[in-house]
Amino acid sequence: MFRRLLPQIHEPDQGGRKVASQVRGERYLRRVACAVLVLASFATACAESEAGTGAVQVSGSTTVAPVAADAAEALKAEGLNITVATQGGSAGGISQLGSGQIDIAMSSKPLADEDRSTHPDADFVLTQIGADAVGAIVTKEVADAGVKNLTAAQVRGLFEGRITNWSEVGGPDLEVFVYDKEPGRGTREVLDKYLYGDKKAPPPPKSDNFSIVGGNLETRNKLKSTPGAVAPLSTGFTEGHNDLAVVTLDGIAPTPENIASGKYPMARPLYLITDGEPEGESKEFIDYVLSAEGQKILPKHGYLTLGQIEE
Amino acid sequence: MASGTLEQPPKDLEVSRRPRPSRWVWAWTYAGGLSVVVVLLILVGYLAAGAASGEIDRTTLLTASEWSPAHSAYGSLAMIYGSAVVCVVALCLAVPIGWAAAVALSEYVPPRLARPLRLCIELLAAVPSIVYGLIGIMVVRPFVAQVADVTSGDSILAAGIVLAVMITPTVVAVSVDALAAVPDRYREAAFSLGLTRREVVRSAVLPIARPGMRAAVLLGLARALGEAIAVFLIVGRADGHLPTTFGEFLDSLVHPGQTLTTKLAGPEPVLAGTSGPHFAALCTLGIILLGLVATATVWGTYRSSRGGADRGSQPHWSMARLRTQRDRLALWLRISALLLPGALLVGMLAILVTRGSAAFDPSFWFTPATGSVGGGVSEQVLGTLLLVVTTGLIALPLGFGAGILIGVRASTRTARLLQTLTVVVGGTPTILLGLAGFVILSSAMGWGRSWLAGAIVLVPVVVPVIALTTASRAMGMPPELTESALSLGLSRTQLIRSVVVPYAWPATVTGLLLGLARAAGETAPLLFTATVFFGASALPDGIVNSPVQALPTHIFTLSQDSGDPQAITQAWGSAMVLVLITAVLLSMAVVLRNRFEGERWTA
Repeated sequence: MFRRLLPQIHEPDQGGRKVASQVRGERYLRRVACAVLVLASFATACAESEAGTGAVQVSGSTTVAPVAADAAEALKAEGLNITVATQGGSAGGISQLGSGQIDIAMSSKPLADEDRSTHPDADFVLTQIGADAVGAIVTKEVADAGVKNLTAAQVRGLFEGRITNWSEVGGPDLEVFVYDKEPGRGTREVLDKYLYGDKKAPPPPKSDNFSIVGGNLETRNKLKSTPGAVAPLSTGFTEGHNDLAVVTLDGIAPTPENIASGKYPMARPLYLITDGEPEGESKEFIDYVLSAEGQKILPKHGYLTLGQIEE
Repeated sequence: MASGTLEQPPKDLEVSRRPRPSRWVWAWTYAGGLSVVVVLLILVGYLAAGAASGEIDRTTLLTASEWSPAHSAYGSLAMIYGSAVVCVVALCLAVPIGWAAAVALSEYVPPRLARPLRLCIELLAAVPSIVYGLIGIMVVRPFVAQVADVTSGDSILAAGIVLAVMITPTVVAVSVDALAAVPDRYREAAFSLGLTRREVVRSAVLPIARPGMRAAVLLGLARALGEAIAVFLIVGRADGHLPTTFGEFLDSLVHPGQTLTTKLAGPEPVLAGTSGPHFAALCTLGIILLGLVATATVWGTYRSSRGGADRGSQPHWSMARLRTQRDRLALWLRISALLLPGALLVGMLAILVTRGSAAFDPSFWFTPATGSVGGGVSEQVLGTLLLVVTTGLIALPLGFGAGILIGVRASTRTARLLQTLTVVVGGTPTILLGLAGFVILSSAMGWGRSWLAGAIVLVPVVVPVIALTTASRAMGMPPELTESALSLGLSRTQLIRSVVVPYAWPATVTGLLLGLARAAGETAPLLFTATVFFGASALPDGIVNSPVQALPTHIFTLSQDSGDPQAITQAWGSAMVLVLITAVLLSMAVVLRNRFEGERWTA
């Protein structure tokens, strides 16, 4: 390598340096030109094939996103261009819609008064597309040993770190491990509303057996791997998982009938929200989700269709 | 740049024969150095403006451990504690193993075997952090739960172990480069004195390679401090846990905690809005994090440079007895340290291959997605490639320039200052980069979600890695090369162009690859600026409102929030695709680098 260096140093004296660098420079330029051409042809090819300008932008709740993505995919065949993003969850979607950055917000919670007061210019129109039940999920070990039902006071005790052993609520002699959802998650708001009504939830307990989780899949994985765990989770996510059990709350099970009648305390609606009545492609999209074909997507992701809750 | 000189009139033969003055070298290196400073200024400015936007009690923020925005309690002591402990655990595990493995790789293993091993190490460094997080959930959590006899493995210790696994390859790869730059004649001279291999390494090789190996640790620390996604999945994210006695300290290691990065990577920055006490508290956390990286860096550089000087003046005390035995012991220790990353690689590949087998079906690569979880990932592959290539094109000249500036031009003090700034930029939690990009590029400049915004946000991830590896190689350049070049009448600019650049180039390529590998797997900054979950066209046709889809964000969304069992298959398949893409890129570049590097430089 050092030998290779020497000619480079001596070259200028031999007068060959400039020619060599000129050739090298040309070769370099040619290479860059090729790369640019290739990239440009890719870009134009892509622009030609998918020239749909003004795509409908959908963003918000991660709970609703898979449904919206499936619907968008089905509509792609009809020439409709829809992008689905999930930044900021339900609250993020609503605020983006309010500031005019997107066309449709996905939400797994009803509008709060703050949402309307922060965006006074926006005329939010909510379209319910389905519903989801949040359950207090425990491991099979705990359920089999006798914990089939919990009262609101017992759930509060568990999540505030006051009940630390399952034997206190009629279960096995096993330590309780609480997984709570991070703030802002629709699931967490449903639980807080059930436990505290309109009052503020207290700060998280300073217990060693308390941990925060994010997405639904993460919650399920951690529930399964922790004996004695309890967490709020969409009941659709426990179907087909025999090592997890849904307890009844104050004796009421999350059946479609109980959700439809409003008896089950931890149910939540799923919405698509627009600024003003939906029009044009946005309307086409929402109409598709409400159609018989579109509603078939909901059970696939563990949610209840409008038909199920209205029965 | 160079083409301007080609226009010189040919008749002026005497002048044209003179070597070109290459003034562009200064413009180039200073632009590189400046880019690092500008990134830091933007970050600090953005965070300071945010911190000043709301009234909070800063003393309470630093001394209290209770954090509850709903009750206006902002105390971050427990998070600072969590970050510190996680990093200390990671370094305690990674540095001894990393250094020993690097020495083994460079000094013990025959070159024919060392090359593929080095490739494997770089491959490990390229595994995206989201994959480490998924594996951490599968393996490390149950391990901690069993060993420490606690109910859940969500703990500070688990986070530290996962971080150690993540940073070991970085430490090894950068240290090996430093060791490889030590001229062979030092080894030959030491061997000819009759020293054993252990003594040669200790007295001849390590003193020269030390600056580079120190840079390796700093890079590792920077990555550990800045990592959010992998820690996020296993640290437990429970606020307010602060031990008061030693017993409680040991206990806190195996229980859930919270670090500064996981707090910032959570949903709170999105919920906090853009002003008010909550946002101000979060921005202050960002400043604290930057401050911690800076402190660690300054402390590290200062302490080790002083230690190095002390050791240089002091002869090695060496026991004459048991020399062979100790030599053999060192051999076994170092080789087994090398086996550990190897075993990790095999284990991780086994998990990836069994769970991500979808990636071996070519149609998975080349068909677009159908629905939210069906079909292939061709759009995500193209999007990731577009982001990585654009980032590399922007970052290479800047990082190379900054590295040369640090390594050659600057005085010792300026070099150390610049190096510190570079590591600080490299340690910036990428979530902060993402938020800054969101505020400046997407909102203020009105780009919306744009692939170019994503690429630009990734540039500060790559530049410091390139700059630091380049600088440490340039600093380790044998003085004879400089002396002979200068004695041939080369000016400083010509010295840089004809001697330093070709000498440092192999390290630059390594740095570029390590940096791009990291950028390719970054999730957090892209979520805010560049990617959507569904519906973007494969290649964008503009800048404003032209999002792409990328593999890491795809994996993140799938692994967090989908109820469909197919989503998990899709997530692991995408992870495997991401690893394979990086592996192909790396192998190509390693071939390229080996051709550049050739034999070791001797004088």
